[in-house]
Amino acid sequence: MRYPGADRDAVSNVSLQIEPGAVTVLLGPSGCGKSTLLRTVNRLVIPASGRVLLDEVDNAGIDPVELRRGTGYVIQAVGLFSHMTVAQNIAVVPSLLKWPRARIDARVDELLGLVGLDPARYRGRFPRELSGGEQQRVGVARAIAAEPAVLLMDEPFGAVDAIVRANLQQQMIHIKQRLRTTVLFVTHDVDEALILADRIVVMHAGKVEQQGAPVDILREPATPYVARLFALSDQTRRYDELRAALSSTELS
Amino acid sequence: MTLTRKRSLALIGAALTLPSCGGGDRNVLKAGSKNFGENIIVAEIYAAALERAGLHVERRMNLGSTQIATEAMVRGDIDLYPEYTGTGLIDVLHHTPVRSASEVYAIVKREYARRYGITWLAPSPVNDSQALAVTASLAEKMQLRTLSRCAVLASGLSLAAIPEFVSRADALPGLQRFYGGFHFKSVRTYAIGLQYDALTRGDADVATAFTTDSQIDTDHLVLLSDDKHFWPPYNIAPLVRNTALRAHPQAQAVLNRISPLLTDAAVRRFNEAYNLAHADPAQIAQQFLKEHAH
Amino acid sequence: MTYIMGHLGEIGDLTLQHMGLVAAGLFLAMVIALPLGVLAARNSHIGAPIFALTGVLYVIPSLALLAVAVRYIGLGWAPVILVLAAYAQFILVRNIATALTSVSPAQIDAARGLGMTARQQFFRVEIPLATPVLISGLRLATVALIAIATLGGYVGAGGLGDEIFLGLQRKYIEQTLAGSIPAALLAIILDALLRLAERSSRARVG
Repeated sequence: MRYPGADRDAVSNVSLQIEPGAVTVLLGPSGCGKSTLLRTVNRLVIPASGRVLLDEVDNAGIDPVELRRGTGYVIQAVGLFSHMTVAQNIAVVPSLLKWPRARIDARVDELLGLVGLDPARYRGRFPRELSGGEQQRVGVARAIAAEPAVLLMDEPFGAVDAIVRANLQQQMIHIKQRLRTTVLFVTHDVDEALILADRIVVMHAGKVEQQGAPVDILREPATPYVARLFALSDQTRRYDELRAALSSTELS
Repeated sequence: MTLTRKRSLALIGAALTLPSCGGGDRNVLKAGSKNFGENIIVAEIYAAALERAGLHVERRMNLGSTQIATEAMVRGDIDLYPEYTGTGLIDVLHHTPVRSASEVYAIVKREYARRYGITWLAPSPVNDSQALAVTASLAEKMQLRTLSRCAVLASGLSLAAIPEFVSRADALPGLQRFYGGFHFKSVRTYAIGLQYDALTRGDADVATAFTTDSQIDTDHLVLLSDDKHFWPPYNIAPLVRNTALRAHPQAQAVLNRISPLLTDAAVRRFNEAYNLAHADPAQIAQQFLKEHAH
Repeated sequence: MTYIMGHLGEIGDLTLQHMGLVAAGLFLAMVIALPLGVLAARNSHIGAPIFALTGVLYVIPSLALLAVAVRYIGLGWAPVILVLAAYAQFILVRNIATALTSVSPAQIDAARGLGMTARQQFFRVEIPLATPVLISGLRLATVALIAIATLGGYVGAGGLGDEIFLGLQRKYIEQTLAGSIPAALLAIILDALLRLAERSSRARVG
C-alpha cells in the first residue's frame, strides 16, 4: 500500500508506504490531517494531487463502491444503523456482496465471538440497547465482515471511557493476532498507539514527522516534537524502565 | 417498504371510490341531477316513476353544474337527467336566445340528437326561468320593476350572483349585450341559494334568481319583469341517452307521462317542502307520484 | 340527528368519496414533494426558493386556487385533487427535507464508507431513518387535506362537501352537519392512526 501524496492543505507532501498485514497507526493531534489521509484510502476524500496505490493499483481507477466494500471502515461515532439489529448491521457488506444466507449467518456468529460478544445474546439486539463499548465492538465486526484486505479505523475508541477503551484495545490486539488484515489506525492517543501499533506514523500539521516501529521511534525520536510527544506517555516511562532493566541484564 | 405500500393502497382506494368513467351495466338506468334542490327532486321523480314501471335505476344525484351534467351524459356516466330548454339552447349549444317555447324545444331536440346522441323527451309546462330579484322595499323606493330600468340603474347597485350567472351566455354577459347597461357597481358570487341571504341581509341590492325558487315567496321578493324578453323559456324536460332509450324503450312513455304534471305550481310547492320543511327529495318524489297516480 | 340516521348509506358513500379525494391528493402531492424535498435536503441554495414557492401556494386561499384550476382543467374532481396537492406541498416538502437532513450523519458516513451506492444509502438507511418524521408530515397533510377537500362541494367533485353545501343552500343545518361531522371524525381517526404509526416507527428506528 502506498500513499504518495501532495494533498491539499490538510495534508501536504505525504509519501508513505504501508506495510501489508500489519497495524500502522497514524498518530498526531486533532486537525493534523490524519483522518483526511485515512479517508483517501477508501476515496471518501479525493486528494488534490498525488495518488493512493493499493497493490500497485491507483485507487482512482477502481469503482469507489467496489473499493469501499473491500475496505473495512470504523468511525468514532460508530454509526451503527439504528433500525437494524446487530446481526443485520454486521451483515451489511456481505449482503451487498450477495453472499448466501447461510454463509452470512455463520460469519455473523463468528465475528461476534471474535469481538467478544455472545452471539446468542447479541444477534437480535438493536444498537440502542447496547453500551458504547458494545456498539463499537459491533462496529468493528461490521467493518471486517466481508474479509477486507484493508481495515481503516478513525479514532474508533475515542468516544468511550478509559476502562472500556482499554478493553476494546485488548480486543483489538486479539483480533489483530487472529487476522492478517492490513490495518490503518488513526488516533491522537500516544499510549493507544504504543499498545496497538506494529508501525507508527507520527504526523503534525499535515506532515509526517517520523515513521517506524514503536521501539525505534522511542529509542531515537527524529524531531523535538516527536520526543516531546512520547515523553508524555506512560508507556514510554515503562519502556524506559524496561530498557534500563534489559540493558542492565545484557550487560551482565 | 411501508411508505410505498401505503401510497399504493391510497391510490387503489382513490381509484375505487372516485366516480368511474365510461359505460356500465346495460340493465341499469343511471339517473343523475344537477347540484340544486329542484333538479334533484325532479330527477328523483323521474327515477321513482321508472322504478314503479319495473326498471332498475341507479342514482347519481348532485353531480354539479350544467357543464358537469352534460359531460357526464356524453361520457355515459349517467343516462338521464332533467334539463331546461333555455339552458340547453344558450348555455350548451351557444345558440342566440329564441322567444318561442316550441321553437326553443325544436332546436335543442334536433341539435342534441345530432351532436350528442341525446334525446329531449316531452317538455313540462313549468318555466323555471332565470330572473333578477330585489326586495319589495327597494322596488318601491327606486320604482324598480323591470329589467330595462335595472340595466340603467345597475351602476349604482350591487349584485349577488350564483357563480354560473357571471359567465353564462344566457346570464350577465347576455343581459349586457341585449339590454345594454347592466354594469353593476359590484358583483359578488355566492353558492346557489346563498345569494338570497345577501339580499335579505342588505349586503346586495339585486340577486340572481330562478322563478320557481321558494325564497321568492318566503322572503317577499319582487322578480323584475323581462320586458324585452331576453330570457328564453326554460321548460324542464327529461334528457335521455339514445343508447339507454334503445335498451329500455318503455322509459320514454313513463317519462312523457310525468312531464305534463310538472307545472309552475307543483314545482313551487315541492321547492317549498324542500327548503322550508326540509323534506327529503326522495320522499317528495314518492309523495308526488302517489298524489298523481293513475 | 334524524337526517344523519336516515341517510347513513349516502353519507357513507360520500365519506368514501371524500377519502378517495384526499388519498389521490396526497398521492399526487407526494409524487411532487418527494423529489423537491430530496433536492432541498441536498442543496440548501435550491431549498430556499422551493420553500418560498410552496409557502405562496399555502397562503393563497384554497378557493381562489380552485377557481384558477377550474378555469384550466374544468370542473369535477380533477381541479380539487390539484388544489389538494398544491396545498400539501408546503407541509410535505419542508417535512421531507427536514426528515432527511436530520438523519444521523454518522450513519450516513458509515453507509457510504461500507460501500453502499447512493441509491442504497437512500433507500436502506436514509429513508428508514427518516420515516418517523415523514409519517408525522403525512399526518399533518392528511388532516389539512380532509378539511380542504370539502371544497369539492363547489365544483361537483363529490365528497362530504356536497352535503355541506346542499345543507347551506336550503338552510338545513342537520344536512350541513351530516357533511361536517363525518369529515371531522375522519380527521380525528386518521390523525390517531397515523400517530400510532409514527410512534411504532419511532420505536423501530430508535
